[in-house]
Amino acid sequence: MRRLTGHDEGEINRILSREDEILPSSGFAVSVMDAVRREAAAPPPIPFPWKRALPGLVVGGFVLAMVFVTVVAVSVQLIRSATSGHFSISLPPWLTPILGLQRNLEIAAGWTVLALLVTFVSVKLSMRLGSRRA
Amino acid sequence: MSANDDQADVERVLAGDISAFEGIVRRWQGPLINLAYRFCRDRGRAEEMAQEAFLRAFRALGQWRKDAVFSTWLFALATNLYRSELRRIPARMLSLTVSLDDIPEPRDARASDGGVEDQDRDLAVRRAVGALPAKYRETLILFYFHDMDITSTARSLGLPEGTVKARLFRGREILRSKLPQLLAVPRLKEA
Repeated sequence: MRRLTGHDEGEINRILSREDEILPSSGFAVSVMDAVRREAAAPPPIPFPWKRALPGLVVGGFVLAMVFVTVVAVSVQLIRSATSGHFSISLPPWLTPILGLQRNLEIAAGWTVLALLVTFVSVKLSMRLGSRRA
Repeated sequence: MSANDDQADVERVLAGDISAFEGIVRRWQGPLINLAYRFCRDRGRAEEMAQEAFLRAFRALGQWRKDAVFSTWLFALATNLYRSELRRIPARMLSLTVSLDDIPEPRDARASDGGVEDQDRDLAVRRAVGALPAKYRETLILFYFHDMDITSTARSLGLPEGTVKARLFRGREILRSKLPQLLAVPRLKEA
């Protein structure tokens, strides 16, 4: 890349400093003030009901954490099973009494993986379609 | 434009007199629309962006700390809005957003009258500015909008002056590399 000379810089300065000014349209200020008055007249936004939502959020967070732990545990076992050639999955001992999912866990894991895949594909597809329309 | 007028109007608005905001709008509508226009090169869109900037200023008026001049605060707010608006719009929707490689050179850089047509050259340079990466484009736009004042540009962008200087230098260098023929020609008509 050739270095910028004083002449180049002067030229760029001269060209870009010489911008045509545009004038606001005649109704611009009135239109802004209308919008400002509407804004001022609008009722204040309803605050988020944190007190009511808190129990639900706590339960939701707990469930999410459990699901995360389960998925990690199952994934680790799946990887181990794949390397050893023997397919078997069991939940962490402290988790099984809570969820009671020991039976048919392999099937459940399969369905979970399938559901995640379908969700991933549909999200990607809809984002792609959405970006094409935008 | 008086800073005292701005301060008085702001105090009246904060005291509940909404109509006082009209003074602020009338004083600053020209600069805010022109700044928006330099970002988007579309008159209608520039007015929409300026209107949104005024609305945001109205909502945030209580946050203006009087340690900075009102206009500095207003320009920083408007600049933030314009930058985020333009980054939100798909690039193909903007008339200014073309690839640097797609910008044609003017017809003949060494025309018989000793120079290129001024309009062609100016248009090519402005389109090239529009095609720069966002951080250089925004810095160049604001620098020339603020009459080449580094301090005002840095305040509007919320960046250190050194960063602004570096971006200006780099932005100009990219322009120079993309339009070598254009900028190398001495302007004989002015000699």
